Amino acid sequence: MTSDADRGTYPPTEEMLAQPVPAEVAKAQADRLRKVWAQPPGWTYWSAVNNTEVGVWYCLTATFFMLLAGILALLMRVQLAVPENDFLDASRYNQFFTMHGSAMMFLFAVPIFEAISILILPSLLGARDMPFPRLSAYGFWCFVIGGIFVMGSLLFDAAPDAGWFMYPPLATEYGGIGADIWLLGLSFIEVASIAAAVELIVGVLKCRPPGMRVNIMPLYAWYVLVVGGMIVFAFPPLIAGDFLFEMQRSFDWPFFDPERGGDPMLWQHLFWIFGHPEVYIIFLPSIAVTAMIVPTAARRPIVGYSWIVLSAVGTGFLSFGLWVHHMFATGLPAISLGFFSAASEAVVLPTGIQIFAFVATLMVGRVRMIHPMLWIAGALAIFVAGGLTGVMVAIVPFDWQVHDTYFIVAHLHYTIFGGMLFPVIGGIYYFYPIIAKKQLSERLGKWAFWLMFTGFNVTFLPMHLTGMQGMPRRVFTYPGDLGWNWLNMISTVGAFVMAAGILVFVYDLLRPKGKQPDPPRNPWDAGTLEWTHNVPGEAWGIRSIPYVDTRYPLWQQSKMQERIDAGRYYLPDAEEGKRETLVTSVIDAHPLHVQRVTGPAWITIWAAIFTGGAFIFPTFHWYPPAIVSAVLAVACIIYWNWTSTAVIPEKDSKDAGLGLRLPLYVSGPDAVGWWAVWITMLADATAFSSLVFAVFFYWTASAQFPPDGAQFANGGLVAAGTGLVAGSWALTAWARRDAGRGAMAALAAAMLAACAGGAVLFLALWTTDMDPTEHVYPAMMWALVIWVIVHLIAGVVLQGYCLAGLAFGKITRRHDAPLWNSLLFWHFLCLTVLVTGAMIAIAPRLMT
Amino acid sequence: MFSPAGIDALATLNLFWVMLAGAVVIWFALNGLFLYVTRIHVGKMSRRLAEAVIIGGGILFPLVVLSTLLIYSLPMMGHQRAPDDGLRVSITAERWWWRVEYWPDGADAPVVSANELRLPVDQRSELLLTAGEVIHSFWIPALGGKTDMFPGRITRMTLAPSQTGTFRGQCAEFCGLSHALMAIPAVVMEPDAFADWLADQAQPADLSAPGRAVFLREGCGACHTIRGTPAAGRVGPDLTHLGSRTALAAGILPMTADALRAWISNPEAVKPGAEMPAYDHLNDTDMTALAAYLMGLE
Amino acid sequence: MSHDKQTSDARQFAEESSSLVRITAAPLTWAGHFVLCYGAAAVWCVKWPGPIGQMAPLRIALGLATVLALAIIAWLGWRSWQQWDLLDDYDYEHEMGVGEDRHEFLGHAAFLLSIVSFVGVIFTSLPLVFAATCR
Repeated sequence: MTSDADRGTYPPTEEMLAQPVPAEVAKAQADRLRKVWAQPPGWTYWSAVNNTEVGVWYCLTATFFMLLAGILALLMRVQLAVPENDFLDASRYNQFFTMHGSAMMFLFAVPIFEAISILILPSLLGARDMPFPRLSAYGFWCFVIGGIFVMGSLLFDAAPDAGWFMYPPLATEYGGIGADIWLLGLSFIEVASIAAAVELIVGVLKCRPPGMRVNIMPLYAWYVLVVGGMIVFAFPPLIAGDFLFEMQRSFDWPFFDPERGGDPMLWQHLFWIFGHPEVYIIFLPSIAVTAMIVPTAARRPIVGYSWIVLSAVGTGFLSFGLWVHHMFATGLPAISLGFFSAASEAVVLPTGIQIFAFVATLMVGRVRMIHPMLWIAGALAIFVAGGLTGVMVAIVPFDWQVHDTYFIVAHLHYTIFGGMLFPVIGGIYYFYPIIAKKQLSERLGKWAFWLMFTGFNVTFLPMHLTGMQGMPRRVFTYPGDLGWNWLNMISTVGAFVMAAGILVFVYDLLRPKGKQPDPPRNPWDAGTLEWTHNVPGEAWGIRSIPYVDTRYPLWQQSKMQERIDAGRYYLPDAEEGKRETLVTSVIDAHPLHVQRVTGPAWITIWAAIFTGGAFIFPTFHWYPPAIVSAVLAVACIIYWNWTSTAVIPEKDSKDAGLGLRLPLYVSGPDAVGWWAVWITMLADATAFSSLVFAVFFYWTASAQFPPDGAQFANGGLVAAGTGLVAGSWALTAWARRDAGRGAMAALAAAMLAACAGGAVLFLALWTTDMDPTEHVYPAMMWALVIWVIVHLIAGVVLQGYCLAGLAFGKITRRHDAPLWNSLLFWHFLCLTVLVTGAMIAIAPRLMT
Repeated sequence: MFSPAGIDALATLNLFWVMLAGAVVIWFALNGLFLYVTRIHVGKMSRRLAEAVIIGGGILFPLVVLSTLLIYSLPMMGHQRAPDDGLRVSITAERWWWRVEYWPDGADAPVVSANELRLPVDQRSELLLTAGEVIHSFWIPALGGKTDMFPGRITRMTLAPSQTGTFRGQCAEFCGLSHALMAIPAVVMEPDAFADWLADQAQPADLSAPGRAVFLREGCGACHTIRGTPAAGRVGPDLTHLGSRTALAAGILPMTADALRAWISNPEAVKPGAEMPAYDHLNDTDMTALAAYLMGLE
Repeated sequence: MSHDKQTSDARQFAEESSSLVRITAAPLTWAGHFVLCYGAAAVWCVKWPGPIGQMAPLRIALGLATVLALAIIAWLGWRSWQQWDLLDDYDYEHEMGVGEDRHEFLGHAAFLLSIVSFVGVIFTSLPLVFAATCR
């Protein structure tokens, strides 16, 4: 333990910062840094894990999927251009609209946020890299594999065709393997999304530069924090829903089958508890980009920083109270609809506040209409229109008319183009010099903008009318005598104009720019840290990590740039030849320790491939290879963690620069890994809560849950099982305290107790006649037990990992991070098992 | 919904015009402000004004507008769902057609029909909705809003038509392959005419035509009911008074002999995925007779 | 290290944990009230559906919950107003990287969130008055 006293001086004095770094020292340091952070050469380039490489691949892949999904949209528009068209048949049309929505949401809108954030967040925060580079790479490769698998199904005419919302019973009972591809392929991608969200949250909380307290961090970071938190709470209900859904499709457990006590409404709830926050998950990051561009254009700090933080946090919360507005027509009681109608209107407040804060900033600033502002202006025009129709459809009687019509198609595209696509493209124009060290063409940008803006409005403005004239969504054809013909023709023409605009933009993005001279480092005269990047590019992220105590350090802290470049600040060197970044405290960004981050690796790709196998093989009901893949995936992940995380450093602490000495190894709440486990487990607990919610949902929704004469889990066995698991948890906790020889014995005993506990819980149901295919009640009980058993297996693997760590000297009393992290997992696991015990042994007896 | 023929549709349309007017004003105000500060009046404005914009535009203005909107619209839900003196109709959505059963006051068995809804004008009728296999949604835009139809669950809505006429409805929830081909005409009648019509519908069909034998021989009765004949199938639509309906195949084809022949000989060509088998083996005489018989069931 | 968790992070948490909780406390209160209203109405309408008269117990109970939620949020707003302490220096920017600005900023953000949550709770309670039917 390095106490504060012997860490040295912090914060640095102006005197220390003013001291020059000798040129030859600076050059030697820069050379060492360059060598450490160099990209792997030749074909081994693909083993790179840096945020600058993975982020670019991620962005390009997501853009590629966006283009594919856009082509599907164009084909649909061709089909709908004239009535009774036979360009596409019903089956293919249904596949196309399903995949258009699914791909735009899961393969573009969410991943592009994570991609852009992985790419630029470290530079916004003056960090060298994300805290877990290999996790980003793993998430990226999972995304590529899953995305190709899901989109590839279109080529075999086997794509999902029940809509991106996959409502049962349509999706459970009909249509080949499409639904399985959707469920498993996208679950796989959702897991990768959660992994990226965890990494981004930890990045914002723990990887800020020294001095960057929460009140001065870039607004983009606030949004990343909020959106990451939303992903952590919004995606798990869908994953829980996917789990139930797939159990029904593969093993006929009747979760959504009304004849056996199931209820298709449960899926709608779980789907939209995910689906509505999701809309804000894709909207807020674009507001975040806008919040970076607007002050630069206004040449002054943002007005109403606190207001914008309020908006981000407030929207994050309120967006979880809107989901039933997708279900206004399901016949729920008027009073219930009223609550959601009211919340849907309430969310207008924080959404509006952000827009007015931007306008206020522009009012008091000296505005320059830099090119990205054109896209922001377009975004405002489009988004406000979408927001206003949103206010309309939140009014229940109006929604009863326009729900599931082209009015909604128009509304949602107005919100998504204005609230997501236009600001993202504006952001790409803005950040491109950082990403590519080149500039995009302003002339082509104007062409792209006006083509897209015109095309968009020509396509979608008439759709409001089409919907109000009675045209429902998701129809592959329509009769010619209803007055919809010319409206549809206009929309189709507009779609092609818009596509031309997108092509111009993509061309500008990808055209070779070899001859273009290097752009200025800070072409827009912005005030935030990302504009300290190097031109031409350097792989080190930032030359030295600055001490920041203003919101716009390039405007407000003189000599920031030259001191960074001179290596005056923290971690200017890589004398041990390791990739390092600085970890600071959550609220005040007090420097805590030096984190060694991982370098290039193939193991992450292997882990992604096998994880993919574990999700993809079950689509075809090939369970043995799926199990083998899962085991190999776990083996790869263990190998990767064992060899590259929580490595015991060669010395206890190092000189971090500016007279600060920081430890190289920390554990518990100081360590980024512990935070990652904590956030991951919040997501896991949310998924579990969704299953618990399902039990209560069945109870409220049906007169007989559990049904008459239902059996109950064996109470004694449930008590014994939960007791054994609790014992295993207690032993793990003791092992964490001891962390020595005794801990090994404790962990071995804990593993036995956990295995026994899982087996006993299994027997608690097995010894009854509860057949999960007979009724939803036994199915739900079994689902809870399976959930717990899978988690117990993971818990035992972690205990074994710690045991091996102790045995082979990877874990010692001083270096005990894996023990802390495993115990944290076990806290959640123990709670899960206790709740499960109550849910299977006590709750059903009370419900009858 | 621009030519409302029902009380609810009219109320919703009026609400829409008010909201649209407000939306247009707000849109121009906000975008105008943006244009003004970025293009026309570029230069430092007062900080105090900027903050007034945030508080006024972000909090006060939406607070007033949205509260008013909610207080006005929330009671509409209850009004639009409260049953009144009209009749009750059960509608079951199948893939891809509608089973319609009328329950006049005091009836202990319904009057069964299909693929067409008739309602008396100036009365509020209650619809009890359910579905066979998958979720559908019932919607007659000219009369009112829509309500989803679930297997294993009954949802309720009411409609209060205020004009007579025929109005097109269509399934609004995606229900699989031929979702696009699932419409339903709603015929609103004067109460007396409606009562007569319903009394007629309650009668069995007694038509002896050559096609009757073809119908029974080909086993059509396994799926279809024609009351007054041995045909009593429940799988497909009731055909007892088929000829009296305004359209065929769930609002997709006109009620003509040619359309009937086209449908019977190859339903798949009209409605992909339809469960009815093709009767393309029938010779021309049989087909003509069958079509004439069905058209004659009025 | 492992035996001594009194690191600066932990201490800062002790210092500012109240502010961190307070920044989410108001929206969490809104969320709790919202879930309570929705859950109670859902159970009520399934188990005891009936004409408008029978809604009275539900409306009264949720009305009381609304008053309680508003009181909690008002109290949170008052606490954060004090933490913001606008009237001592009229600082609503908090743009410097110093402890006081961070402290006041968290108070300011929590105060604004209380306002939005207060409005949210009032909106949520409107259906209790204007749409109180299980139909």
